[in-house]
Amino acid sequence: MILFEVFLGGLLLGGTYGLIALGLNLQYGVARILNLSYGEFFMGGAFTAFFTITLWKLNPLLGGFVSLPIAFAVNWLMYQVLMIPLIRRAPDQDVLDADVVLVTFGLFFVMQGLALVGWGGDLHGYSYLSTGVPVLGATVAANRLLAFLGACVLASALFLVLRRTRFGGALRAITIDPVAASLVGVDVRKYSALAFAAGGALAAASGMLVSTFISFTATIGVEYTLKALIVVIMAGVGRVTGTLAAGLVLGVVEAVGGYLLDPALTIAINFGLFMLVLLLRPTGLFTRA
Amino acid sequence: MDRRTFVKGSAAVVGATTLPQRVYAQAAAPDKLRFGYAITQSGPLAPGANSTTISAYQLWQKRVNDAGGITLKKYNKKVPIEFVSYDDQGKPDELLKLTERLIQQDKVDMVLSPYASHMNLASAPIINKAEYPVIMTTATTNKTYELGPRWPYAFWNIAQPRASSGALSKALADLKKQGKIKGRVATVHPTVEYGVENNEAFLAAAKTDGLEVVFSKSYALGAADLQPLIREAMATDPDAFIAFSYPPDTFMLTEQMQIVGFNPQVMYVAIGGVFPTYKGKFGNKVDGILVYGPADMSGPGMDEFAKAHQAMFNRPYEAGAVNVYSGLQVTQQAIETVGEIDRKKIRDAIASGTFSTVWGEIKYLNQINANPWAVGQWQNGELVCLFPADKAGAKPMLFPKPKWS
Repeated sequence: MILFEVFLGGLLLGGTYGLIALGLNLQYGVARILNLSYGEFFMGGAFTAFFTITLWKLNPLLGGFVSLPIAFAVNWLMYQVLMIPLIRRAPDQDVLDADVVLVTFGLFFVMQGLALVGWGGDLHGYSYLSTGVPVLGATVAANRLLAFLGACVLASALFLVLRRTRFGGALRAITIDPVAASLVGVDVRKYSALAFAAGGALAAASGMLVSTFISFTATIGVEYTLKALIVVIMAGVGRVTGTLAAGLVLGVVEAVGGYLLDPALTIAINFGLFMLVLLLRPTGLFTRA
Repeated sequence: MDRRTFVKGSAAVVGATTLPQRVYAQAAAPDKLRFGYAITQSGPLAPGANSTTISAYQLWQKRVNDAGGITLKKYNKKVPIEFVSYDDQGKPDELLKLTERLIQQDKVDMVLSPYASHMNLASAPIINKAEYPVIMTTATTNKTYELGPRWPYAFWNIAQPRASSGALSKALADLKKQGKIKGRVATVHPTVEYGVENNEAFLAAAKTDGLEVVFSKSYALGAADLQPLIREAMATDPDAFIAFSYPPDTFMLTEQMQIVGFNPQVMYVAIGGVFPTYKGKFGNKVDGILVYGPADMSGPGMDEFAKAHQAMFNRPYEAGAVNVYSGLQVTQQAIETVGEIDRKKIRDAIASGTFSTVWGEIKYLNQINANPWAVGQWQNGELVCLFPADKAGAKPMLFPKPKWS
């Protein structure tokens, strides 16, 4: 019975891993920008939720009405103002990657510094839906379940947009080949900017959902950038459902492995799996060969 | 250069740099006292360094200077404090370089301690060699018992693992003697030095005290889900659940114990349990939880301290900051007793004196605080101190811990 509960816990955890990585995959997969300040928007979403419940005494999820549009707008501006000049001057993707890493790394420091000045270095946390929910005889945390459902909804919505809409078709075309996409009339800059902005909003959404069950500081962003990056690399760049699936695999292996072997090994198991994937399928689990 | 010439050479350098200062000091009173510290201002340890240590330094400087400064009775004069500070980036090698710099280049009058156990330990040999007395305010490790006597200039302010875990074990043994619990204990800890050492110290004490440790497991620091671990501990039906935890997992364990409805009669969490944000998150559910390293909120001088802290930083103080502040008060009182900056005499004054501080009365035995607050408890939303039980201000334990409602 405990094993089943451990498995369920791993599934929920994996869902949040997928959720955290969704936005980064959109930014990296479609817009081809490896955004190292990604986690700062996660952190921003978490803090907005925190202030929504502690200062304004409202449901923390309502904070999303503030944090998501802000994250969307800031990321859109980041792409238009900071990334476009880099893209224009870079002779190839390798040079662009190096430039982008440096610039977004700098942005990460700026945003973290601002957050530290504004909100201090203390550990923050609030209680929301911190009750047990019975699922087939096991107990799961309601807030983790909520984050998991949020992950499923957002991943499905993203999947449908990419598969069923003209806009999504354009994004997929850019993912596969931006030059060819522009040749058939796709406005690559406009769509990439929108994808990048949407990725930032997803980061804020995941921060909001995950903040219901973690405690966090103004410096937590980079940790989640790293987590997201691992999932994205495991899934394969540009794969949406793959991102969620890779997150689930990671979560379940971590939980069940930690339970069967030793709880002190969870993080080692995580990185062990990551290394295994890099060795066996360096392009990611869910890319077509 | 062979060792002898190096020793001679450095002796000459030290002589040349200290001699004129001595002459000068006798001639006139200093117009300020320069305190130097290298501390973590960036990286993962920066938030803790800020809320525990740096804010206490700044508050102390402000309050002392507002009162005119530190009294140097030799000159019959109050002298204001000036800080020289550097960022060690959380790197011990950087800390060592910067501490050398404070002493050799900046020639500060006194050095204040860095942040975190390993950093305090790393700086002890240097300050000792240069004969700068320093109260190490954030070091808790069993190594202090062995290493402490080697460094007569380093003083250790907070409860060391054997003291805090010993107090905890004794409290449980007392409950067992009174027939209130069966004495079945479950312990968990993250795989970091603090957790490992405290767990070891507790297991040793529990054995002596006749407790039965029915479960003891470690987990990875930063673990994302501790519910399986809690379930396993719960299955062993313990009366007491003891977590030598770090801040993020202190919060997570407390939340997930509520989710699975785990209600041990005694519950202890370590680092982070005294944070105002811990109470902020869990509200009155913190009542009955035992915590590490408390401060007596109603102790002498605490009202003024709390108000001044709130006014300066616009947030409530953290109990750890009270300990750091007490170290500063000890330093100040020792300087005022000596009446001048004579670091040998100041060291002796710290070693032999009894000091009244916001953290209660402090006296050092072999340079280790003889009776620091080790274990506290949340009662009616307030942090109270329980152990050592013979210390002034100690309250009786609330038992059993109320169930999560």
